[in-house]
Amino acid sequence: MKKRGLADFFFLLLVGYLLLPVLATMLYAFATKWNKSILPEGLTLKWLATLFRDTDFIQAFGRSVLLAGGAVSIALLVIVPAIFVIVLYFPKYEKWIQMAVVMVYSFPGIILAVGLIRVYSKIGIPMIFVVLGAYVVGILPYIYQGTRNSLRNIDARQLLDAAQLLGASKRQAFTKILLPTVYPGLFAGALLSFSVLFGEFVLINLVVGSRFETVQIYLMKKLSTSGHIASAVVFIYLVLMGLLTFVIAIVTKRSKGATNL
Amino acid sequence: MSYLIIEGLHKKYGQVSVLTNIHMEIQKGEFITLLGPSGCGKSTILRIVAGLTDASAGKISIEGKDMNGVQPKDRQVGMVFQSYALFPNMTVHENVAFGLRMQKVNKTDMEQRVHEMLALVHLSEKANAYPKELSGGQQQRVALARALIVRPKVLLLDEPLSALDAQIRKKLQADLRSIQRKLNMTMILVTHDQEEAMAVSDRIFVMNNGSIAQTGTPTEIYTRPNNEFIANFIGHYNVFPRQSLEKMLGKSLIGQSTKFAIRPEALHLDQRDGDLCLSGIAKQSLMSGNIIRTTFEGEMTFTMEQLHQQGYSIEMGKSYKCYVAQEDVIALS
Amino acid sequence: MKQYESIFTNDYILQGFKNSITLSVISAMIALLITLFAVYAMMKFSEPVREKIIILTNLTSNFSGIPLAFAFIVLLGNSGLFTLLFDKWDIDVLTSFSLYSWSGLLLIYIYFQLPLSLMLLYPIYDGIQQQWKEAAALLGASSWQFWMKIGIPVMLPGIVGTFSVLFANAMGAYASAYALTSSNYNLVAIRIGSLIKGDIFAQPELASAIAVILAVTMVTAMLISEWSISKTRRKVK
Repeated sequence: MKKRGLADFFFLLLVGYLLLPVLATMLYAFATKWNKSILPEGLTLKWLATLFRDTDFIQAFGRSVLLAGGAVSIALLVIVPAIFVIVLYFPKYEKWIQMAVVMVYSFPGIILAVGLIRVYSKIGIPMIFVVLGAYVVGILPYIYQGTRNSLRNIDARQLLDAAQLLGASKRQAFTKILLPTVYPGLFAGALLSFSVLFGEFVLINLVVGSRFETVQIYLMKKLSTSGHIASAVVFIYLVLMGLLTFVIAIVTKRSKGATNL
Repeated sequence: MSYLIIEGLHKKYGQVSVLTNIHMEIQKGEFITLLGPSGCGKSTILRIVAGLTDASAGKISIEGKDMNGVQPKDRQVGMVFQSYALFPNMTVHENVAFGLRMQKVNKTDMEQRVHEMLALVHLSEKANAYPKELSGGQQQRVALARALIVRPKVLLLDEPLSALDAQIRKKLQADLRSIQRKLNMTMILVTHDQEEAMAVSDRIFVMNNGSIAQTGTPTEIYTRPNNEFIANFIGHYNVFPRQSLEKMLGKSLIGQSTKFAIRPEALHLDQRDGDLCLSGIAKQSLMSGNIIRTTFEGEMTFTMEQLHQQGYSIEMGKSYKCYVAQEDVIALS
Repeated sequence: MKQYESIFTNDYILQGFKNSITLSVISAMIALLITLFAVYAMMKFSEPVREKIIILTNLTSNFSGIPLAFAFIVLLGNSGLFTLLFDKWDIDVLTSFSLYSWSGLLLIYIYFQLPLSLMLLYPIYDGIQQQWKEAAALLGASSWQFWMKIGIPVMLPGIVGTFSVLFANAMGAYASAYALTSSNYNLVAIRIGSLIKGDIFAQPELASAIAVILAVTMVTAMLISEWSISKTRRKVK
């Protein structure tokens, strides 16, 4: 019984430790003044309003969405078909993708940044495209995992064969059968990639810097000037992440339910 | 006094009752089978006997000792699981020795007993293998040895053979029975396979919907099913409503029963003294090994099973008369 | 080659490595310890509840880098919530504490290690079959004996693997430390960052060399864990 209590204690510690900073920051975004008391002296929407009137922020937000969304779109268009072809027709090469996935996943941005600067800074293409390219490659693990999980639940090869025997063309079989079945997993993978890229700071800051100000860089700048504005930014960021996580959870659950039928 | 007594056992999950008023008395050295379709509550009885699940009401005693509130580890009850539940980080030897190590048996005794036990289940040469390196049948023999070595008062077997393929299952059934005889071990086997139950048991408790439907030796259960559920579950009995059967036989039957059962192999084509007669048109014949099952359509559809012998043939579409001895028409309650 | 030579003769850079490694090892160990117990406690909840907890931790795993550093400033910074609170109550736990130093970084590192650790450990715990526990209990083992002799040994490869992922995760982390100490605290990642960003004087060659050494450190850690996993797993193969 004593051990049980110890485990419970650690569990509560973990939950509390994880939630406290989130809640404090969110509350801070609405606080009029909060530097002398346990709870803020009053609540206000002032900081959020200021933030939304700040064109710098709106632009930064737009850049973030553009960059992350662009990278995810490119990945979906280029990487996903490649994964399909390899998984379906060249399964023996799959272990190479898996190796690439592990490498990309465990490779820290700080090392990548050095490499990118060294290799590309002299070629003359704008560094922002270099970062975009790195993003596309960087989300490979999430996209791959999403696609692979949905493919694993169904025997894609047999499904395609069956569709073709029933008179569907290869293209029809692919668009009418395969794509709808892997769609949820793919969608969840794409959202996850988006949320990861949205929070990316290392590459964009080191390789491009303030020339292309994303939300993260904007936040970094505000950190030293206004705490309330900064927490308003974090608030919006958290709400966005919360929404994405929620949608991912629902989509994943639904796709699980569908394949368990 | 019986060795293991289960009295008035009830188990409910919320509002759902999974066991109602179970009574069982088991003698020392008996091989008992709980037989029933999946979901009938038979595994729950085992788990309650082992102390892994609490009963809602009822009493269990082993050797006259009340088991209420006794922890699983102190009950001296062994269990073999369907999924074997071997410890993956231990060799066969370590798995089998585990129970003795918990009892702090000294090393020489332990070696001796593990050695004997592995010999008993024919796995001496696999002592240093890990579970993953063994076949399903071998893993289950390790699980059996692991449970037997601590000399439990009762060994519970929860569908231990159902994950194995038919041939190995047959072989292990025979092994299980001979080990049980050799050790005079009290065993309770849970299975949904009626052939398995018939093959190994001293007595069978047939279960349906959380209660015991019939108790008896395999022969009793097989030849005298006392209701329609058992007749259907135990064999491919033909079950007839009283009226249809009387109409087909052209005579009235004694007793009050509304339903009667006839084993398909009790039917034959040659007439003997005092036989009753069913007639029908042969519709379909299926051969399974040495048995031919023929379906006839008459007043009612019925099947007959005959040994597959040379020269034996039934023409489809032709009308036949099938005979059955009066005592083979079983009244169901 | 000159670059590499200058790394190993430069005490400042070596100290950065030492700081990074210590911070990574300690944060990984603490996070691992907490989550080991926490997952154990979590297992008593029903499956849907556990899934919700995992989703929640998933959410907090997005909370890293700059926003995370900022949240800790709100809580523990110079005019942070707890700093002021403890000041007011005259509790001087925090007087010797500075968020902008090693101990502050440790708190943040533990924070972002926790969700990752939980997500990696959960499936490993889930691999412990209920029937092993039951079989062990019927053979006379207590819950403690079960975990010592079966549970932990079975999970060990997974735990070691998790540790090495956490270690690598912390070694490569840059944003939180940068936001908090703005290049003042000596960590490898920070060193590389400031050498290429060229706040004072850019030395991309040296940065590359350090990055290579950092990569080598991480790969070595991975290999050591692979090796120890295969060593324990050879038995289980």
